[in-house]
Amino acid sequence: MNNLNRASGATRKTPLKPILAAKRRRQLYPFFFSMGPVPLTIISVLLIGLMAVLYLTQLGQAVSANQRIQEMRAEQAVLQRQNQDLVNTIANEQSPGYIATQAKKLGLAPGGPQNVQIIVVKNLEPIANTDQHIQP
Amino acid sequence: MHDQLRRARKRQMVIFLLVVVSMGGLLGRLYYWQIAEAHSGYNLAQLASQEHLQNQILNAPRGIIYDAAGHILATNVIRDDVYIEPLQFSVDHPDNPQEALTSLILTLHRVLPQVSENTLTQDFSLNQQAVLVATRINPVQSQQLQSLQLPDVFLEPRTWRVYPAGSLAAQILGFVSASTNQGVYGIEGQYNTLLAGKPGSFTAETDLNGNPLVVGASSEQPPVPGANITLTIDSNVEYMIQNDLDNAVKQLGAQGGSVTVVNARTGAVVAMAGNPTFDPNQYGNYSGQLGCLGTEGVYFNPSLYCAYEPGSVMKVVTMAAALDQGLITPDTTFYDPGYISFNDAPTVYNWNYQGYGRETMTQVLLHSANVGAAWVAHNILHAQRFYPYVAAFHLGQAYNIDGAEEPGDYRTPANSPQIWSPSDLTRQAFGQSIQVTPLQMAMVYQAIANGGVMMRPYIVASIDNNGHITTTQPQVQRRVISAKAAQELSGMLVSAAFDGAPQSTIVPGYTVASKTGTATTQGISATQTEASMAGFLPASNPQFVILVKLDRPAGSIFGITAAGPLWKTIAQQLMWYYHVPPDAGT
Repeated sequence: MNNLNRASGATRKTPLKPILAAKRRRQLYPFFFSMGPVPLTIISVLLIGLMAVLYLTQLGQAVSANQRIQEMRAEQAVLQRQNQDLVNTIANEQSPGYIATQAKKLGLAPGGPQNVQIIVVKNLEPIANTDQHIQP
Repeated sequence: MHDQLRRARKRQMVIFLLVVVSMGGLLGRLYYWQIAEAHSGYNLAQLASQEHLQNQILNAPRGIIYDAAGHILATNVIRDDVYIEPLQFSVDHPDNPQEALTSLILTLHRVLPQVSENTLTQDFSLNQQAVLVATRINPVQSQQLQSLQLPDVFLEPRTWRVYPAGSLAAQILGFVSASTNQGVYGIEGQYNTLLAGKPGSFTAETDLNGNPLVVGASSEQPPVPGANITLTIDSNVEYMIQNDLDNAVKQLGAQGGSVTVVNARTGAVVAMAGNPTFDPNQYGNYSGQLGCLGTEGVYFNPSLYCAYEPGSVMKVVTMAAALDQGLITPDTTFYDPGYISFNDAPTVYNWNYQGYGRETMTQVLLHSANVGAAWVAHNILHAQRFYPYVAAFHLGQAYNIDGAEEPGDYRTPANSPQIWSPSDLTRQAFGQSIQVTPLQMAMVYQAIANGGVMMRPYIVASIDNNGHITTTQPQVQRRVISAKAAQELSGMLVSAAFDGAPQSTIVPGYTVASKTGTATTQGISATQTEASMAGFLPASNPQFVILVKLDRPAGSIFGITAAGPLWKTIAQQLMWYYHVPPDAGT
């Protein structure tokens, strides 16, 4: 172009506008617009691959978390079951029938009011227990 | 050159148009399947969801039943049922399955000795997907099967209702049917909706193994646990009384019996024991057994359901009606020759045909004279002044406190004008020709003990519905008689207690107000009696009302000799257990 212009004898000053325009473009547009299609494609593929890797990592963590939650829920179910069994055992051993049976095995006999003698003492006042040490 | 370029451009345009049309067609098809069909009746989205969405029902834990001291009377446990997969076994062992089958059966039988090898062999030959081979195995067996990881065998957990105290208070509690999971009889039946709670649901996507993906899209509606119920009965007292009743029934050769104890001030039920009874953990074993003298299933609470002719314990109602209306006093006298004739009713005789000469109203109770009671009802009260008091004492009406309840029955001029006759009046005066339940009769004595005020009986002390606690407050049913009449009647009962035996010999240290009853049933031998005793103590400050009833005792048929000793034992135990201060000599 310049040779042609020189050949034709025309004199032209270097226009400022294209340089400014180029500067402005660099300011306004991201750098990769100056890239060609091939580097753009390669970078896109790399970015997509990176995102995929990140996504798969998150997914893997979610699956592990899910598995852990499942294990904990199973463990919780087992513990709940054991707890219910223990509650049942305690209730059974607190029942009067069980206590009476065990007491009988130990050679104890049921005491009853027939063995208790009631003595009526008129004007009897209770004695206050002020000794702290012998309190249960 | 231009022609070639033109032709090339035309070909480009054609190819471009072809690509555009095919892309357009593809987009159209995508729209059709993804949007149009997804929301149509065919609903592909729903079909797809069915493949990988799982909806699970979350069962609500059933509420627990406690006694007054907080001891558990009914709770839940999880036990496994054992299933085998015969069809899958056939698929897994197409060649020579016998060896594997024998080994599997031997292993299963070793862990589950209650299931015979023959039964297992038969079950494996069935052409079914899954077969139940054992139910409700114990935790040790569950653990063994889980660790063995037997192929084509799986465990299915199931919640069971258990009653740790066995048959204690069985007829109060009722039971939960294993097949329907619904409460039947007693508290379990009456409060089934509260105890059952509300099931929840859990919806989530599942993985290949069917495990829900909780981190994915899921929704959960948590179950609402059943309410916990606390009763007014005390396990220890209930146990003592049940034991005493069982011993008395056995000793006397009775067909059964019941004991009802209520708090004299509040109407709270302290104990209700019945014989025969059942074990709610094995309720199926009692399906053919009868109680209530062979008229009802053993599951019914006899205190509420076994209506009977009360006999002489009913005389307090006759006396209460006359005292309250000022028609008699405890010292009003009349002449008792051993019988009384009426113009409009058959002659009434004393139970032993004995005449007592001139006797006071107090002595009528002391001698348990039918003549005196009939005289008061027929000659003094008449029907119009007698029956309102029978109704005010809540006789012939159910309280509905614990499931099925028999209201009882008696004829009056109002409800049976064609059939009622003055004979009914004279007989009802001493507890014949009238059917009441033990609870109803106990509440009559409660009203007398409580200064004439009848309280509404209750057996549920509180309900805890997921933190929201409702406590039953004692409630006045009605004032039946005046405080003065109640006091007079209490004095009469103290004099009449145990046929006038010295108070110090009845329950040492305590004054007792009681009345015996020996009722016969029409059409049945006079030796087949309902022997009962009702009363309260301490008479000066009543704490407990006790009613004891023995059905057809063989050894001794009278209230004083059959029911009396049992009543005394229970009274002594209650005073001792609750540390009630003695009142003898006050």
